[in-house]
Amino acid sequence: MTTTEGARASGTAAAVATPFAIELVAVTKRYGSVTALSSIDLEIEPGEFVVLLGPSGCGKSTILKVIAGLEDATEGEIYINGELANYRRPKERDVAMVFQNYALYPHMTVETNLGFPLKMRGSRKEDVAREVASVASLLELTDQLKKLPEQLSGGQRQRVALGRAIIRRPVAFLMDEPLSNLDALLRVQMRSELLKIHRRVGRTTVYVTHDQVEAMTMADRIVVLRTGLVQQVGTTSDVYSKPANTFVATFVGSPQMNLFAGRIEGAVDARKFVSPAVSLPLDRSFSAHPADAPVTLGIRPEDIELGPADQATVAGTVELVENIGAEDFISVSLGELTCMVRTAVHGAAREGERIQLRFPPHVVHLFDEAGQRVERQAQESRSAPGPFPDLSEPKEV
Amino acid sequence: MATADTTRGRAHTDRPRGMLIRFRARPAVEAGPVSIAVSYVIVAIIALACVLPFLYILSTSLKESQLLFQYPPKWLPIPPYFGNYERLLFETPFPRWVLNTLVVATAVTAIKVVIDSMAGYAFAKMQFPFKNFLFVFVIATLMIPFATILIPLYFTVRGLHLLDTYWALILPPLANPIGIFMMRQFIEGLPSDLENAARLDGVSEFGVYLRIIVPLIKPGLVVLAVLTFLLQYTSFLWPLVATNTDEMRLITTGLATQRSVWQVNYGIFSAGAVMALIPITVIFLLLQRYFIAGSLAGALKQ
Repeated sequence: MTTTEGARASGTAAAVATPFAIELVAVTKRYGSVTALSSIDLEIEPGEFVVLLGPSGCGKSTILKVIAGLEDATEGEIYINGELANYRRPKERDVAMVFQNYALYPHMTVETNLGFPLKMRGSRKEDVAREVASVASLLELTDQLKKLPEQLSGGQRQRVALGRAIIRRPVAFLMDEPLSNLDALLRVQMRSELLKIHRRVGRTTVYVTHDQVEAMTMADRIVVLRTGLVQQVGTTSDVYSKPANTFVATFVGSPQMNLFAGRIEGAVDARKFVSPAVSLPLDRSFSAHPADAPVTLGIRPEDIELGPADQATVAGTVELVENIGAEDFISVSLGELTCMVRTAVHGAAREGERIQLRFPPHVVHLFDEAGQRVERQAQESRSAPGPFPDLSEPKEV
Repeated sequence: MATADTTRGRAHTDRPRGMLIRFRARPAVEAGPVSIAVSYVIVAIIALACVLPFLYILSTSLKESQLLFQYPPKWLPIPPYFGNYERLLFETPFPRWVLNTLVVATAVTAIKVVIDSMAGYAFAKMQFPFKNFLFVFVIATLMIPFATILIPLYFTVRGLHLLDTYWALILPPLANPIGIFMMRQFIEGLPSDLENAARLDGVSEFGVYLRIIVPLIKPGLVVLAVLTFLLQYTSFLWPLVATNTDEMRLITTGLATQRSVWQVNYGIFSAGAVMALIPITVIFLLLQRYFIAGSLAGALKQ
């Protein structure tokens, strides 16, 4: 394994003082010429529930396998409980994994499946029996102990897989899309059960999913990944309200954020966003961004308001109205682009109708040419957000 | 009539007609009486074709040699003549040949099941340098006709002073790579998550093989065991070359010695064949349920 000096130095320092349950330092994983993970840095606090979120093939399961020791990192260092784990075998890492397809031993009963990790670690028979009874009671599996996995329902199998992980009280649980194949109703049920168990057991959990709802409802922190690169690490509200780039902006949130490519024009005190579909005045918090720079403007569907025409509105034609019960999703055609609006008011628009969309300046997001978030300037947070730009005190930053 | 009854019966059920019905396999009773009769006749002919040689051998073994070629042939040996069995059991070392055959076939089977499944596991699941090259190399040996290695093998075994011993009969068949190929295919189909789960649960690499892989490939192991046993039970050429004395012969080579230059006693041969069938039939009947696979049910999400 080759390790960069920098990574080694920071890793060693972390090993001495780290309170982290799991720490990845510049971890890279390559399969031949394909790079699955690119210099991943990640610190996970004890007891934290961290969700790795990303589309298929982004490397989230590879991170779990690297932490578990089922795959070796090509570069970088992995610390578990503050100790370098790169050269430890999976069984010596003290982590437990719940696999996407449960991986229950089909020739063993639920009881044997649950007790297997303890048996393999040389626990006494009585201790194994006691722990199995306790975990079975926690997971409501007491009546199923004598059954084989094939005799269980999907939810029960999932609980057995979870029980097999819980029983040996590891430093961390690694969960690889454990709910992905359950039906929608059971998934929601198991999601809250998993959270309850996490709160009760209190162990560090690294949870992989491509389902953003799962990620947002369960995570203390979300790590958004794409093509082996970390895009953003933050709480649910960080990732949703302040997406680090256009990928996170569109990947998190359903319907996804509306994006419009254009450029900034106008004087410092009267910045405007201009694009073929949408042209809007921007508030002063974006005045530091240079004029004529290509940018992408983003706005969440629920932040768009329907209202009378003014300087912050854009006219469009309603293409489709989808009533999903609590809300309406309205697709509005703005020339060649389509903009999605989400509103709690039913019947606010009819298909084919011409409507005005208001983009309140304080809720729009700007992304630079590279797709990275343009942060608002500090004074914006002091002034109350309003539908129109505050043009009274132009200030160059 | 069955058809009419069935139709009437179905009309009384509440089962909705439509897609659900169309996807179900049609029960056999829906076929007309003519097609049922035809299918029975075809099946009966095939069954007869399979059973006839056995019946002929059984009948021959129970006849005196002068009755074998009488015309018209007498199909049923009434009264049965047990002289062929008596001669075979008491005037030849046949019991010893059966013992030798069972010892050799059992030993080869037991050793092959172990080494082939281990090699299959290594080729299917483990990573090591030149893995693919080695596998192709192993499989390539399948293409070498046994006749071409018969003489070098004979000299090798003679050089090791193993001629006319059990080792001469047991060791060479172990090199047959078909079992490795079979086991590799079986094991490759097992999901890697099961092994990974076991590794995380604290199982050693050998433990993964023994505790997880072996129980899951039981049907494959049984197929391999039965095929290997059969192959050894009926092998002729190598045992003929590798053994010289009556005490070390197998059933096949032993019976062959009963054929003189001018005369073949088909009665003795048939009696030998019938008795040789007994152990192999028992073994096959005992193990046939393992042929029905399906041990993986419930392991993974469906």
